[in-house]
Amino acid sequence: MSKTDPRVGEIVQRIEDEGQGAFVESYDPDDEIMTINMGPVHPATHGVLRLLLELDGETVTDCKPIIGYLHTGMEKECEDQNWRGAVTIVTRMDYLAPFFNEHAYSRAVEKLLGIEVPPRGMYIRMLMSELNRLTSHLVQFGTQGLDMGAMSAMFYGFREREMITDFFEMVTGLRMNHGYIIPGGVWEDLPDGWQEQMDNILEVMPNRLNEYQDLLSENPIFIERTRGVGTITAEECDTFGVTGPIARASGIDWDLRRDMPYEAYDELSFEVPIQEQGDVYARYQVRMAEMVQSVALLEQIVDQMPDGDYKNMDPKLTPPSRSELNRSMEAVIHHFKLVTQGYAVPEGEAYFAVESPRGELGVFVVSDGGTSPYRCHVRDPSFYNLQSLPVMAREGLVADLIACIASLDPIMGGVDR
Amino acid sequence: MTTVTHEVLSSAEWAERAPVLRDEGWMLLDLHGVDRLGLTGDEDEQRRFEIVCHMLKRADASRMVVHVGVEGDPPTVASVTRVWGTAGFAERETYDMYGIVFEGHDDLTRILMPDDWEGYPLRKDYDVGKIVIDFKPQPFLQTESPGQAPSFGESHVETDALGQMKRDGDDE
Repeated sequence: MSKTDPRVGEIVQRIEDEGQGAFVESYDPDDEIMTINMGPVHPATHGVLRLLLELDGETVTDCKPIIGYLHTGMEKECEDQNWRGAVTIVTRMDYLAPFFNEHAYSRAVEKLLGIEVPPRGMYIRMLMSELNRLTSHLVQFGTQGLDMGAMSAMFYGFREREMITDFFEMVTGLRMNHGYIIPGGVWEDLPDGWQEQMDNILEVMPNRLNEYQDLLSENPIFIERTRGVGTITAEECDTFGVTGPIARASGIDWDLRRDMPYEAYDELSFEVPIQEQGDVYARYQVRMAEMVQSVALLEQIVDQMPDGDYKNMDPKLTPPSRSELNRSMEAVIHHFKLVTQGYAVPEGEAYFAVESPRGELGVFVVSDGGTSPYRCHVRDPSFYNLQSLPVMAREGLVADLIACIASLDPIMGGVDR
Repeated sequence: MTTVTHEVLSSAEWAERAPVLRDEGWMLLDLHGVDRLGLTGDEDEQRRFEIVCHMLKRADASRMVVHVGVEGDPPTVASVTRVWGTAGFAERETYDMYGIVFEGHDDLTRILMPDDWEGYPLRKDYDVGKIVIDFKPQPFLQTESPGQAPSFGESHVETDALGQMKRDGDDE
C-alpha cells in the first residue's frame, strides 16, 4: 500500500471504521483495486474460512480461499489409534455428516479385512446415513436462508434437525461424532422403540419439506439473490474435482449410491435429482429434492429392515458377549486380545468412497499388517469443492459471494482435518 | 461392479501420462502422499515417498489408482495443476505434509500448517509430541515488591469474576 498518497489513508480508515471488522490488505487509488480480507472469523464464512478478495468497487475480481485454521492433524492421530479407535477420529472431520466419515472408513477397512457385513448392519448403516443427509441438508437450508436474509429458515431447519438428532441420541448415545459405524457393522443394535420414533419422523418430514418450499423456493427476494448467481459449468466441476449436489446442479448425472452401489442401495428405488443451470438456486433445488428422496429411501429402509446380526460376529473382530465370557476360556482370550491390542489388518491398501451430503467422501487406508492404520487419508469433498469458489465468485458482487459460500456448504472441520 | 485399475509410474512417466489420462476422460478426484518408510518390501530409501492419485471416469463407472514414486532430496515430481485444477489444493497439502516438491506449481506454499512451520508432519520420522509446547512462564509468586505480594490467580475460588486481585503480603 502506498502510504504517500493522502487519499489512501482516508479511504482505508473509512472502510475499516464502517466495514464492521473489514481489514484492508492493500489499496491502489489509481485503478481502484482493493485487496480486502474476509474472515477467518466472519458470520458468513461458515466456520473459520478466510478469503482474500480483490475488489473493483463492489465487484469481486479475484478471490483466494485461505484455510488451515481448524487443522489439528487428525490423519496423523489416526496412526496412533487401533483400527477400531480411529473411527472416533474420522467421525470428527466433517462434523455435520459424521456417519459418512465412519461409513467410508469402515468400508475401507472391511475391504482390507475381506469381511462381510450382515444385512441388518447394512440397513442400519443406510438408515443412519440417510437421516444424516437430512440433518446436513437442513443445516444448509437454514444457513443459506440466514445468509440471504431469511432468518426464519434457520429456525425451521433446526427444528426438524433437532428431531432427528434426538433419534441419533437414542440410538448412539450422542448427537454428533457418534463413532457408531465400525468395521464389521454397527456398534449397537437399534434400541427398543426406534420404530415409533422413525414413524414419527417419517410422518412429519414430508409436510415440513413442503413448508420449506413455500418458505424459500417461491420467495421472490430469495430467487432474485440466487438465480444466475455463482454459476459453474459441468466442465469446470470436472476440472476442479467438484462432486455431489454442486456437480448435480450443473447437470452432471452422477450419484455413487446409484452408479457404484454400496451396502444395499441397489435394492432400493430412488431418483437422482439433476438441475442444469449450475447456479446457487439450482444447488438449492437439488438439495431440496435430495431431501425428498432421502425420506422416500428411509420409508423403504424401515419397511425392509431385516432381522439378524447387526455386526460381523467373528470372534477375532468383535468382543464376545458378557454371558459368553462367563462360560468360555476362549472367549476370555479373544476379549483380552481385542481390548489390549485390537485386531490386526492384513497388509495392503484400500480406498472406499461414499456419497456424502457434499459429494464423494473417500477414505484411503494403508496397513502394514499391524493393529493400527499405517496411513489414513480422507478425501473430504468440502476441501475440493472449496477450490471452485474463485470460479463461482469471479465477476460477481460481494453479496453474491456470500450466496456462493452458503451454496458450497463447506465444513471447515472436513476441509482442514 | 466397479472396475479399479492400478498403475505404478515413475515421476517422469507421470508428467507424460497425466494429459493422456485427462483426454481419455479421467477426472482427478484426489491426490495425496504416502511415506513408505518401514513398510515391508520397500526398504529401498529411494522409493520412500510416493503420491497416490485417485481417478474416476464417469462414462463407464470405473476408477483408477495411480502410484507415482517420488525420488530425490527434496523429493520432486512434476505438478499436474495445468492438467487438473483439482491438483492445486491437493499438491499444496502434499507439500505441506510430506515436503514433496511439485515442479511447476504456481503457489506451492503451506496450506494447512502455519506458514513458518518447520518439518513435515505426516512423515514417518516426524514424531507426535516432538514439538515441546512452551506455556508462558508465569511464576506462582510474583515478587516484584519487597513486601512479597502474591497474586491470586485469575480463576481462584476466592476471586469474584475473572479479575486478578493483588494482596499485600505483609497482612497475612
